Amino acid sequence: MKLSRTSLGTVLTLALAAACGAPASADDTTHTALQNRTIGYALTGTHWAVYQTKDGKEECPQGVNDMGPREIFNKMFPDLGPVEKTQLARESATWYPMDSEEKFPFHTGQSKKGIGLNLDGKVGPNDLTSPDGTPGIDNQLGRALSCVRFFRGPDGIGFHFTDVYVRQNDYNRAIIELTNVDSLTNDDDVDVAIYRGMDALMMDATGAKVVPGGLERVDVKFGKKFESHLKGKIVNGVLTTTPKDVTWPFAWFGGVPGEQKFKDFRFSMKLTEEGANGLAAGYTDVDNWYYSLAKGRSTHHQSYGTMSAPGLYQAMHRLADGYPDKNGQMTAISWALQLPMTQVFIEHPQNTKKAPGVVALSGPEAAH
Amino acid sequence: MRNLFYIAGAIAFLGVSASASAADITSTGFDPAGAGIKTEAYISEPLPPGFSVQATELEGPVFADEQGHTLYVWPFRQMRVSTTGDRDGTSACGDEVTTETAGMMSPYPPGMKLPDLDKRKSCTAIWPPVLAKDDAKPVGNFSIITRPDGKKQWAHDHRALYISVLDKQAGDTFGATTRRSAGDGPAEREAVGPATAVPPGFLVKTTSRGRILLNEKHYSIYVSDQDGAEKSNCTGSCTSMWQPAIASALSQPQGEWTTFERSPGVRQWAFRKRPVYTYARDTHTWSQQGTDVSGWHNVFTQVTPPPPKGFGYMNNEVGESVVTPQGMTIYLYTCGDDSKDQLACDHPGSPQAYRLAICGGGKADRCLQRWPYVQAAPGATSTSRVWSVITIDPMTGLYAASGQPGAMNVWAYRGRPVYTYAGDKEPGDINGNKTGEFNGKRNGFNAFILRDDFFDADV
Repeated sequence: MKLSRTSLGTVLTLALAAACGAPASADDTTHTALQNRTIGYALTGTHWAVYQTKDGKEECPQGVNDMGPREIFNKMFPDLGPVEKTQLARESATWYPMDSEEKFPFHTGQSKKGIGLNLDGKVGPNDLTSPDGTPGIDNQLGRALSCVRFFRGPDGIGFHFTDVYVRQNDYNRAIIELTNVDSLTNDDDVDVAIYRGMDALMMDATGAKVVPGGLERVDVKFGKKFESHLKGKIVNGVLTTTPKDVTWPFAWFGGVPGEQKFKDFRFSMKLTEEGANGLAAGYTDVDNWYYSLAKGRSTHHQSYGTMSAPGLYQAMHRLADGYPDKNGQMTAISWALQLPMTQVFIEHPQNTKKAPGVVALSGPEAAH
Repeated sequence: MRNLFYIAGAIAFLGVSASASAADITSTGFDPAGAGIKTEAYISEPLPPGFSVQATELEGPVFADEQGHTLYVWPFRQMRVSTTGDRDGTSACGDEVTTETAGMMSPYPPGMKLPDLDKRKSCTAIWPPVLAKDDAKPVGNFSIITRPDGKKQWAHDHRALYISVLDKQAGDTFGATTRRSAGDGPAEREAVGPATAVPPGFLVKTTSRGRILLNEKHYSIYVSDQDGAEKSNCTGSCTSMWQPAIASALSQPQGEWTTFERSPGVRQWAFRKRPVYTYARDTHTWSQQGTDVSGWHNVFTQVTPPPPKGFGYMNNEVGESVVTPQGMTIYLYTCGDDSKDQLACDHPGSPQAYRLAICGGGKADRCLQRWPYVQAAPGATSTSRVWSVITIDPMTGLYAASGQPGAMNVWAYRGRPVYTYAGDKEPGDINGNKTGEFNGKRNGFNAFILRDDFFDADV
């Protein structure tokens, strides 16, 4: 059960806002969110950036994958058999996906279009072109996911629920804080910190829409691994940052905390007083990403989106495009995430105890 | 020879150079003031002849049969497909040996042959019913139901009662736990005991850390070091964060619970003489977030025994986990089969095919590499029953005879071996958490979390 702390959050937010100093510059006199050259944002949703057309024929000319765990099991074991040779064999394939080649086709995206960023500054033969015509887009994960119902919007179960879990679960609360900001329109040197927040997003009266102005405390006790500091600049209202390895909170399923260990992570986000919207992109280790998915979405849940986990793993290895090992085998794959954010005020808690504080009361001790 | 190789590998793993700083590993999660508290108060109720209430290390007081065996119920429960467990007044646990899966857990159909059929036992062989004599009479909340074969069985609150073959001594609760487990885990049995002696508006629930005191909405109860005996020093702005548990004018002291007048006409509850509160900034039920504020503490009626000497606790992104002396996270393995009996497959006396599939793709050697057992040092002993040293055959995962070649002494929690994960590279990593079927809840590995701030104790 989740406690709504909207009223408390609102009070604290107003108090915090009132306590903040004067705006940074005359240019900011109408601003209310940019205070003391600082502004915060909290993630309100997330999707893996997958290029898709309405009928899917451009990117998936062979159709979307229709062989998920249930269909594969039925094909492989029409007469059933011992649990070890059937069910557990398929579960083994999830955790040891390279033990045998999947016998069923796993379609990947064939379009030359893609959503993402140019990570390496080059335009290579396997690179994609963004819908606005920008060449050199690196997003091979998007190709691997392109023909999997699970990831396709708006009704793919993964597409839908990764959004839901961002809103519902505070272990999934990615927040960013921009400091040394002179202007949200143009500033050639800003600092960007990534944290995990502790508090529920502030919703409107319907409970359906996130509204700006909420309060987020930084999780300094359990969220330390999510803290990163990037350098960035703002040009025409778009924040870009220099690449850095970060750990990003990411839950595939309710009640199952998760993270993504991203390499060369960077933002490209349009900023406003009310929120931010755009992309994050980088590379991710294929194994890390895959096992994060396998732990978060069980075979049952993969079935909803006709997603074969071993098939996806093998496709990711075929499309991997970064961080070659000593044999030249690529170990990482390029990706992009679509990230809507809303403005929040960020509080940095003080005086948090480091040691656990647990006491079992006894009569005599309590009496003194 | 092959066995020796893997044992050596496991030993080498235990000796990895990775080490956490002393500041990161906490040697004990418990205040010494609580060390002497072993039991909690309960409300007595009439018992059948020979029955008793036994104190336990994890579950608080439980009912026991004439031999002191803990009593369990099998709550009726909806699975992904179909339902299982006992409906009130009936027993679904039969004498026949089931041979096929029931198909209760999507996406797999029913009808697959269960593992180790030559050794498989019936439900009642694992969970013997607590039979009543022909002339037995109902007592208080204890009633008598008729089993399908006509035998009489004791029930509590209309729920059929069983004992577990895993329990050997009075106070053992190796069969099952009352610790909260939602989601897609097996349809577990639960130890059953008398009601905890708390005033209306309070609850006591089982956690890995101890029996935690909550209010009726499952929000945690706290006490302050600044308070005196039945005297609150939390006034003014303090009460905007720490909300006193107000007692009604008609509330009466009972057992360890008293009331006092915190301001004219306003009475507050005190437990063991200490004023109790809830915390306004708790974002979850069952929270321990308030303990992060200096001077404030959760309240446990009894705390669980500490892990073996040298083990510790460490923070991670989920909460606080039990770790080895090297700071590596300890994992617990959970497994229930998909038969209609929902029998456990998580201990060395049960089929190992499920575990081997997840930890090694069916291969024991890969299991030992990816999910090594936590070996016990020679001569290591436990100071509690919940932690123990057991001897297993690492290549089969089954119990081994003492002196059996290749046998390994490993640490066990609730009679189940504990593990580390080779994918954890740094102290405090929990990269293996949730590995397995249904996020590790049905057949898989989960980090041993003592404190979770996010999951309402459902870990």
